[in-house]
Amino acid sequence: MASPAVPPEPDGPFSRGGRPILPEVKPMVFSTPYFLFLYLPAVLLLYYLAPLRFRNLVLLVFNLLFYGWGEPVYILLMIFTIVLDYFAGLIVHRCKRQGNDKGARWAVGVSLALNLAILFFFKYWDLVAGTLQRIGIPMPVLHLTLPIGISFYTFQTMTYPVDIYRGDAELPKNLVNFGTFVTLFPQLIAGPIIKYKELADQMAYRIHSPEQFASGVQTFTIGLAKKVLLANSIGQLWDIYLATPGGQLTTLGAWLGILAFSLQLYFDFSGYSDMAVGMGRMMGFEFLANFNYPYLAKSATEFWRRWHISLGSWFREYLYIPLGGNRVKAPRLVFNLFVVWACTGIWHGASWNFLIWGLYYFLLIVFERFFFSKVLQKLPGWVGHLYGLLIVMVGWALFAVEDFSAMGLYLKAMFGLGAGWADGTFWYYLRNYLPILLIAAVAATPLAATLWRKLSLRSRQVAIPALVLAGLVLATAYLVDGTYNPFLYFRF
Amino acid sequence: MGKKGSIFLTALFCLFLFGFGAALLLLPDRAFSQQENRYLAQWEPPTADSLVSGAFMRSFEDYVIDQFPLRDGWIHLKAWSERLLGKQENNGVYFGSDGQTLFAQYTPPDDLEQRVSYVNRLGENVDVPVYFALIPDKSYVWAERLPDNAPLVDDGSTLQSTQALCGEEVTWIDLSQALSGDDVFYRTDHHWTTLGAHQGYQALAAAMGAVQPQPDGQPTLVADDFYGTTWSSAGAAWVEPDEMYTWVPEGGLTGRTTVTRYPDGQPVEGAFYDLSKLELKDKYSMFLGGNQGLCVIENPDAQDGRLLVIRDSYADCLAPFLSMSYQQVHLFDLRYNRTSLRQYIQEQGIDQVLVLYSCSNFATDSNLALLGY
Repeated sequence: MASPAVPPEPDGPFSRGGRPILPEVKPMVFSTPYFLFLYLPAVLLLYYLAPLRFRNLVLLVFNLLFYGWGEPVYILLMIFTIVLDYFAGLIVHRCKRQGNDKGARWAVGVSLALNLAILFFFKYWDLVAGTLQRIGIPMPVLHLTLPIGISFYTFQTMTYPVDIYRGDAELPKNLVNFGTFVTLFPQLIAGPIIKYKELADQMAYRIHSPEQFASGVQTFTIGLAKKVLLANSIGQLWDIYLATPGGQLTTLGAWLGILAFSLQLYFDFSGYSDMAVGMGRMMGFEFLANFNYPYLAKSATEFWRRWHISLGSWFREYLYIPLGGNRVKAPRLVFNLFVVWACTGIWHGASWNFLIWGLYYFLLIVFERFFFSKVLQKLPGWVGHLYGLLIVMVGWALFAVEDFSAMGLYLKAMFGLGAGWADGTFWYYLRNYLPILLIAAVAATPLAATLWRKLSLRSRQVAIPALVLAGLVLATAYLVDGTYNPFLYFRF
Repeated sequence: MGKKGSIFLTALFCLFLFGFGAALLLLPDRAFSQQENRYLAQWEPPTADSLVSGAFMRSFEDYVIDQFPLRDGWIHLKAWSERLLGKQENNGVYFGSDGQTLFAQYTPPDDLEQRVSYVNRLGENVDVPVYFALIPDKSYVWAERLPDNAPLVDDGSTLQSTQALCGEEVTWIDLSQALSGDDVFYRTDHHWTTLGAHQGYQALAAAMGAVQPQPDGQPTLVADDFYGTTWSSAGAAWVEPDEMYTWVPEGGLTGRTTVTRYPDGQPVEGAFYDLSKLELKDKYSMFLGGNQGLCVIENPDAQDGRLLVIRDSYADCLAPFLSMSYQQVHLFDLRYNRTSLRQYIQEQGIDQVLVLYSCSNFATDSNLALLGY
């Protein structure tokens, strides 16, 4: 029935609907041979050869190389951001010491405003200008390249003056330490978003031990395998369904496609986070976990406690609670939630569908908070799991298909209004991807971790190096022959 | 993990990363990959311009991937791993259900009408008869060996639609039933075999009203180690190589046939089968010596006149057979030859024109517009 899907160009999934697809800029990505076999060894080698007091400086230099790799001129923007925030923090601190609370608040405010202005200008200007153009207000569209990871590091630096103001952290020892914090390459471009107060002490003092390095090796290899072996493989299936013209989508095909996207995004994103945590540990850093089996969630509320934890926690601490949190009357609570979820949505990319996706969660969370969670508690657990998976997968359709008419067709197909239930193409792809989808589905649950803990200490000691080596070898094979290795975070 | 275990794991990890990193830097670079049949990316020193524009970074990424130590082995490992995971495809190639046949995925053209219109324009432009045939894709002829429900295959609709689009000045030759049997295509390559080309010759000659002398004897085995381009893309190390055959004797049936190649515009003496090419990876270039803008085969003892073939590489294997029928066979490749066709047909006194492409080349070739000039 449906004619075959054309295999798409190798690029990220966030590209439907006439937006620039393959960017000119190629940032340095962890899952590339030159990063793994040249950049990372060089960092580790020089980091450990350098005396302790120069290690942050070594890191800063490598961070800037990493950051500038894709778009060298933006190193200047980065340096500007670092210097601006560094001195904003100093002023906040001085004002507070002098008892000048108003001055401190002003400094915090100016710093936040400048950061948000930079973020707005580079990330959202074209969206707003383009939208205004369409309703007849002339605004120039600039087509600027988005500085890589700007959403992540802007959020990270914004915590610094606030944490200083709140007295949650000490001032950085010097500009180098602060610059290293802002640009720290493991989590610079895809998170986790680390608050200044979580890292301030580690910038000044870290322990380096073989145990910590080895633990980092394990976490890093798990992340690499998640990204290269699971996310990249499954992502190809999603790209096929993304490229299928809406009118040809079958119901089962649409669900297979969105299942593939759900697994791809989770393993890509959490794989990146694991690699970040792992590389951090190799250099003595401890970052907080970013994911906690999100697809086990039994509600939208729970999903967001398990998905991209560092982002949720950022919004809670620096937006939701300052707005009054949940200790307010119901209408104000709804308003607070609305603001937080609108911001969360649009943070994910400069396109209105991300706003819709955020508001979708706003509605679900309000619905759950005032009514449905009480119902869910009385129902058996599997109903909650089913509900959780269903809302999250429908949400991903809003997230992944940017073009509104294509999104409409995709949702219609998911709900039985497509080109029939299934076609030969669906059966072919199901047959081909079933093994990897099953592996990924199991890997999205704590089952393997549970079994692992049942192994004896001795067998674990044998298994760890064997598994790490197997993971590295297989990932290398998939990278060297890797025609499909998308970087999903261009929009962040 | 204890301290010892941690040190061991740390050492293992560093050894792997540093080891391959060092090997990458120290081992000499390869210019050409025999296995992949392509030139590999080379080291390009950075310049101020290429650093600012990012061009250096992009070429560096390709360089590292292409020159990675043991590259061929990694490619085979990945193909094996995909196969063990139950995949029926890798890198755009289907694994046939017999385990030994590989199919490059086929995408029908979305601008077929435009493409056929160029052929129609050629028909209107010239006074001699214009015949048009497309060679069906391997996935059409050997459909029974495809994985079940494989989506990117030739289901025959390209041939049907093309036939329907042909104008009055063009005579369509249907090859959809012409090819049959186990050995008409290479299992590891997209081309037809000598046997397949012979079947094609019979159908074409019959349709064009040419006499069909038969080559003497049986095809001669000249190579049994041909790994084609589809095999290269797939990395399918478990697939056995193909055999290659010659059939028409050099010099034709009477020994008086000559082959003149124009690899660079200048005439060079050629042969039906250039056996020296069998030393290369691209063994298919044995047929007429590979791609060229023009090749003229003259057989003074043939009965039919002068045939112009607008060719792709499939025609190289077919031409020896055609030369048994025609006094002159001109093989004209639009990719390398910018001469006006109308003019060429007049000057050379061409009697018949055959536009012959494989379906996949016809779907992708970007020079078809030249047909009308």
